[in-house]
Amino acid sequence: MRGPKFRIVAALLALALVGAACSGRDDDDTATDEDSGGEEAAGSSIDTADCVADPTAEIEGDEIKLVSSYPQSGATAAFSQIARGWKAYFQMVNEAGGVEIAGNNYTIVTEDKDDQYNPATTAQNIDELVGADGENAFATFSVVGTANNLAIRDQLGELCVPNLFAATGAPIMGSEDYPWTLGSSLSPYSLEGKAFADLLAEQNPEAKVAMLVQDDDFGTAYEEGFQAAIEGTDIEVVKVEKYATGAAEVSAQITSLAASGADAFFNGGTLLACPDALTKAAAAGWTPITWISATCTSKTLMGVAGQAGDGVYSYTNLKDPLNPDFDADPAMQEYREVVAQYQPEADLDNAIVGYGWTQAALLVQVLENAEAPTRLAVMESMHNFEASEEGVLLPGVTVHTGDGDNFLGEAYQTMQYEFEAAGARNHFVLIGTELTDVEGETLDLTPEDLING
Amino acid sequence: MTTEQTGAAVGPAIGGAPVDTAAPLASGARPGLFPPVPRQVTVAKVIIGVVLSAAALYAPFYFEPTINRVLSQAIYIAIAAMGLNLLTGFTGQVSIGHGAFYGVGAFTSAILMIDYGWTFEVTILASVVINAVLGFLIGVPALRVRGLYLALVTLGLAVLFPRVAQKFVDGTGGVALLRPPRSDFSSLIDGLADDQWAYFLSLAIMVVLFILAWNLVRGRVGRAMIAVRDQEIAATTVGVNLAGTKVATFAISAAYAGVAGSLSVMIDRLADGTNPILYFQRSIEFLVAMTIGGAATMLGPAVGALVLVLLRRNTEDLIEGKEILAPALYGAALIAIVFVLPEGLVGGVNRLLARLGRRSSAKGRPPTRPIPDDSQ
Repeated sequence: MRGPKFRIVAALLALALVGAACSGRDDDDTATDEDSGGEEAAGSSIDTADCVADPTAEIEGDEIKLVSSYPQSGATAAFSQIARGWKAYFQMVNEAGGVEIAGNNYTIVTEDKDDQYNPATTAQNIDELVGADGENAFATFSVVGTANNLAIRDQLGELCVPNLFAATGAPIMGSEDYPWTLGSSLSPYSLEGKAFADLLAEQNPEAKVAMLVQDDDFGTAYEEGFQAAIEGTDIEVVKVEKYATGAAEVSAQITSLAASGADAFFNGGTLLACPDALTKAAAAGWTPITWISATCTSKTLMGVAGQAGDGVYSYTNLKDPLNPDFDADPAMQEYREVVAQYQPEADLDNAIVGYGWTQAALLVQVLENAEAPTRLAVMESMHNFEASEEGVLLPGVTVHTGDGDNFLGEAYQTMQYEFEAAGARNHFVLIGTELTDVEGETLDLTPEDLING
Repeated sequence: MTTEQTGAAVGPAIGGAPVDTAAPLASGARPGLFPPVPRQVTVAKVIIGVVLSAAALYAPFYFEPTINRVLSQAIYIAIAAMGLNLLTGFTGQVSIGHGAFYGVGAFTSAILMIDYGWTFEVTILASVVINAVLGFLIGVPALRVRGLYLALVTLGLAVLFPRVAQKFVDGTGGVALLRPPRSDFSSLIDGLADDQWAYFLSLAIMVVLFILAWNLVRGRVGRAMIAVRDQEIAATTVGVNLAGTKVATFAISAAYAGVAGSLSVMIDRLADGTNPILYFQRSIEFLVAMTIGGAATMLGPAVGALVLVLLRRNTEDLIEGKEILAPALYGAALIAIVFVLPEGLVGGVNRLLARLGRRSSAKGRPPTRPIPDDSQ
């Protein structure tokens, strides 16, 4: 049974895997052979002189290829729901004939990879998905994470491949120096600092604040953004604790923060660190007035926090599917219907599915506004964009870029989590009826180095 | 590509060393380290070498950039595996810490390029020096332990390294991730695309390093290394400097891993300190590449590295929708190879050729000189 034949067959089977799937070099389709991007398009605000791939080359064929990288497995998988929202929207658009750019219809094709929230993996994923010379994809879309997007920003900038609707609120996504990367409708993190400072000014003007932030630029944006927001007030930050990027357990940090005597807590954690912080704070008997990162307001993460999340504040500019007030809303009904049809595994009650859905709706607008099916035209359209009532944006929220304003989500409404009982329809309740709209002010409200690094 | 030819030609002598060289030495039947090789076998090896060399030179013009990157990854893994081969395959000292030297090489290149504006090619030399010194410093205390204990000590290195990087490196996004700009790796030869340039530069460095390794092991030093591996006490009695041999091999081997790390910055376009187990994984990959290629053979590391990266890549998307099974398939394939070819791929081929050579010379004209009896 273990004769030489058996051995040879086993070895050949194993080696067959080695030889599989190697395709040949095709030199015809590289747009890089010509003097790429030498001519600057008339009136363009984007410098294309050094582009590796010609940004004025038109899409060949009738497909527009978007690629993405985001956490899909392990402890960081909560964010993978975002993609179900945007995939459903694109499927709906494709079914209806595709997206129209300058008179031609294009089918949106997507491809994505799992990076487990690790920026180095994101970089490798995007390098591979986009191709060495940008030949494999038109643009990247909804890549999740601050450090993750920063890891690909330079390379995509050199290639002149648009990095659209980066799923992060880091203000650095609005940097003028990197015109090929732009953030999403998620409000800049520095505005969360302002919103919490405004809330404290009302409720506890002499608050002593403890902060938990991730140990990277995501955390720095919260820390410095909040410091800037409380300048000139009696609010004071008494302690800042950091946790390693992607860590799921923060009890040591919470013990230290609870012992600081703070009566307000800025929980800048994301993914599992965020509910863990809430649970550990509750277990320690520490009950400060708490703000949580807007990236933590999903059903998954608040579900993990449970009772410990009761009463925490955050903000949003989207309709929350869990909020019964929107049950009769036509936009919400369309969202539920379409996502259920195309992405049956999606958790319809999860606000981040609605976030993904909304980014897709905005992107389709950006594409349709573009004057030509080229990367440059799409990027210019992205930089001069205005939309409202798209996806599940809250009524009155306007997404706007242009004239040096690179921030999309500058309107928000504060909300508070109400935990009724496990398994009940626990959700965030919007506070008041007024949006706070700081359109065009993010640059002034954010420390300069958070934007330009 | 000369190493592959010459390497292949001498392969049998050094290949299969754990068995073949020990036996004649012990029996005293054959005093030399290199038993004579039947001519047919030599011819077969030369042909294989020429074909492989031609393939290696033609490949980057045939494949698309994505595949070329994978092939280039195989080259840097081969270099590190060759370094490990010198230490583990020839000298018998198991290291699970070469991922750390690889990491030091990667960060040396990335930091020198980004913060000090060095040219990439020059950073490789810096990487060699730094890693040789580091290997020497670590090699000295590592002398006190051997076998499993040495493996554990070096494992500590691989686990420690990312922490050190996280502590001291502040890269893009506020994490320990460095990415030198693309333009720093531009092709220096007209007519070669960037991916082809990266491939040929890596290949040339690999050829040089493999020739150096070959020169090292076939001479006096090589005999000392093998003696240390096979029988330390006997080695000292015949005048081998045990400490010197081990430390020198450790330093050389670390330098090889450092070069691999430097090249990885050009090929992967990043130096990564964010993943706490990455350098441990690398260490294991180097060991696996060396083992499946054939420990203590000259071409084993290269063959093993190529098989490793292609297996890794091809098991990834093999079953649509079941990507989660990829590591299992990958592991199973590796087990299958080690199971059927315990001496590695090169060792297995060597054995096959030796058997064929013996058979044909036994059938044909009478042998001009006696064939070594290694029919077991």
